[in-house]
Amino acid sequence: MVAVGFVLVFSVGGILNLAHGTFYMLGAYFTFIFYSLVFHSAKGSVLIFSLILAVLSVTALACLIFHFLLRRKIESLVYTMVITLALALFVSEIMSLIFGVSGTSVPSLIEGSVSISGIKIIKHQLIFLPITAIILPLLWLFLKRTKIGQSIDAVSQNRIGSLLMGVDVEKATLITSGLSAALAALAGALVAPVSSVVPEMWLFPLIKAFAIAILGGMGSLPGSIIASFLLGYAEVITSFLIDEQLTEMVSLAVIVFVLIFKPAGILGYKTS
Amino acid sequence: MGPLLEVKGISKSFGGLQALRDINFTVSAGERVGIIGPNGAGKTTLFNILSGFTPPNSGMVLLDGQNILGKKPYQIVNLGLTRTWQLVKPFSGMKVIEAVSVPTFSKRYKNIYPAHPQGLKGINQILEGIGLAEKIWEEVENLNHSELRLLDISRAMATNPRILLLDEPFSGLSPKETEKISRMIIDLNEEGLTLLIIEHRLKELMKLVQRVIVIHFGEKIAEGPPECIIQDPRVVEAYLGERITDLGLA
Amino acid sequence: MFSSSNQQEFWVIKHLEMKRILKNFFSRLQIYPLAGFVILAALGIYPALSGSVLHVEILLLAAIYAIFAMSWDILTGYTNEVNFGFAFFIGGAGYLSGACNVFLGWPPILSIPASAVAAGIAGILIGYLTLRLKGPYFAMATLAFAGILFKLAFILYKITGGEEGISGLQSLTAGPITDFYLVWIVMVGIYILLILYSRSKHGTILKAIRADEDVAQSSGINTAYYKIEAFALSGFLAGIGGALYAHAQMHIGPVMLSGSLSVIVVLLAMIGGMGTIVGPLLGGILLSFLNEALRIVEAYRIVIYTGLLIVFIYLAPQGLINLELIKQSPRLKRFFFGKEEVHGSSFRS
Repeated sequence: MVAVGFVLVFSVGGILNLAHGTFYMLGAYFTFIFYSLVFHSAKGSVLIFSLILAVLSVTALACLIFHFLLRRKIESLVYTMVITLALALFVSEIMSLIFGVSGTSVPSLIEGSVSISGIKIIKHQLIFLPITAIILPLLWLFLKRTKIGQSIDAVSQNRIGSLLMGVDVEKATLITSGLSAALAALAGALVAPVSSVVPEMWLFPLIKAFAIAILGGMGSLPGSIIASFLLGYAEVITSFLIDEQLTEMVSLAVIVFVLIFKPAGILGYKTS
Repeated sequence: MGPLLEVKGISKSFGGLQALRDINFTVSAGERVGIIGPNGAGKTTLFNILSGFTPPNSGMVLLDGQNILGKKPYQIVNLGLTRTWQLVKPFSGMKVIEAVSVPTFSKRYKNIYPAHPQGLKGINQILEGIGLAEKIWEEVENLNHSELRLLDISRAMATNPRILLLDEPFSGLSPKETEKISRMIIDLNEEGLTLLIIEHRLKELMKLVQRVIVIHFGEKIAEGPPECIIQDPRVVEAYLGERITDLGLA
Repeated sequence: MFSSSNQQEFWVIKHLEMKRILKNFFSRLQIYPLAGFVILAALGIYPALSGSVLHVEILLLAAIYAIFAMSWDILTGYTNEVNFGFAFFIGGAGYLSGACNVFLGWPPILSIPASAVAAGIAGILIGYLTLRLKGPYFAMATLAFAGILFKLAFILYKITGGEEGISGLQSLTAGPITDFYLVWIVMVGIYILLILYSRSKHGTILKAIRADEDVAQSSGINTAYYKIEAFALSGFLAGIGGALYAHAQMHIGPVMLSGSLSVIVVLLAMIGGMGTIVGPLLGGILLSFLNEALRIVEAYRIVIYTGLLIVFIYLAPQGLINLELIKQSPRLKRFFFGKEEVHGSSFRS
């Protein structure tokens, strides 16, 4: 059931589908979110408040970055990727400057652990599933029912086509970045207490999110949900059967295998 | 000696959509054959299959008796079948002369012209014939539409094909430019090049080809010389409609 | 049995011939960018003039980063598929060379080429595996490969020393100045190799693939082969750089496998100017100088450096040598790009 923790990563993956290119930012936000959370929670036990604050500030930052840095160049994929990854690096360096290389820790929302049928589970992790179960349907509703959501959908499928149909592509993309950042931030904040908080932490969640997105199929929210569960279980199994340290390799292996053996679904995705 | 190109039982569906259904035809060496049909009828898909860019669901394609299905596009080019592209966008970021030199690096070029140098030195002949001689040092991006079309055809010719598949060569061209390319095609044909041409500009096409194949919703519905095709009731109903008078042949 | 006037004629003719040959040679040479020669020469001459060991060490690092940047460029600059996992080849070769040296006792003259070849082979493999990928998929796949190796460095800590890395590598030569010149020679060699490669049919084909791979295929080109070849070359050269670095520092650590290194190499090459070889050469060197210059604020150095890199790439997304002001000025353009072949001096029929 430790796999449940990864369910959140997929909510990140879900949004990845919608805004190709933007997701590179998420790596950066993961780091940031943790630290701002720590920063704010130093004030005391107002943890939930800090969490919300952190998520909001990250989202705001994401929108700012999108607006100033990316808007002009978003068609050039190379540039987007490089700048967002460079930003991730930059933020991670800032973090190690402020908080030190070995990282800091964040207290859990609910302390202690619990034993369920012989397996020890940290209570904090139990929150993950319910939160996700709430957020995801909300997200789905947002995308399918609201006007903005539908425009995001349209843009993700065909950017130029949507433009021609009068959809406000820029606004949709802006909102998507904000949304994906928010979700990533939330994921990061929630996972913080049970995982290590170090400046390099942006790389692997990014890779995992990508693995989930391609496994589930870019552009498909339900696909990512299934994929993230699969990935989560795969990691747990690996950790039990083979070696605990290999868990992170699983997502890497997934990427490698999927991209190599199932390119058919991906070949159709051509960037211009 | 059998036909140069044999297409047998080619079918292709994309998901639920049947793009091509049991297409059969042959092309003999030296022929000029046209393919017409409404948009979305599957013509470009057919070209994609013949040139190796899309695999069919079933059927066979024989080039000079050899099955070319499953071969990669560049291998098919090296066997003598080359295609041009409907949406011309060849090699931006290079100069014209660089662009046309690319085919000289192929195996086929080396085999056919072992004495000719590859690269820039090897393509003078082609450029002279094509009429782009003054533009050879231009950046490809600066060419206009008809020049790009000529460029694509030169590029294709540089592969020294036995059969050339032209995908809508006249689209976007003025009558004068169309005339120019038409004449060039006929010259090439007289030198021995076999041609298979997809076109919508029926008037020009009908003057150009000896035989026409009509494809409608993925099926071949008629085949024959141009004069017969335009009178064929099935074709008229499916495609030509009021266009008969346009053609000036009826 | 020449009469003396015949002999004179003979030598006059020879002399004129020689002049013509030389003139031809130099005019052909002019198509190669002067800037490259200038930069390389400057780097080569400086240590002889300066003699400051500190400066020479800085130059050595700059040269190595230039090697990294140029090697990266030959793949990504010419195919437009961004390789984000470059640290794979750099650190991979570094660790391999270090391990062969420390554990197997191989001398650097053996371990460096061996690791570079291994990196090249890895390039072939990864090139093959990522063949059909485009855009972000390619980028993420390369990132993933580098990530795997990074993780492995920690998992196999018994061999790789984990966080600490491997120490005690044999140095390249007896002293820092000779170290530098060795690296300098390699850098010059790599530069020349890459310039020739990019101007050859390989470069033309890569550019064609970048423009439109389908059209390249329908010109009879086996695009897969050339893509893999570029990948292998890129990896091989990066491997040389990485192994050289390891022995110059006499230590190799996981930072040479990190995502940060990959991103920095990308930035160095892009800020210099992708797809030109000269650009990354310039970028690698200048930006390494910048990095050193920032040591006065050591505490903030990395942050400021990364920040500046982002600013630079934002201001000049195509790179420094692709700036409009250079492209507009014919002199500057010729300096950085070489004389353009407008009148077929290099091809008579």
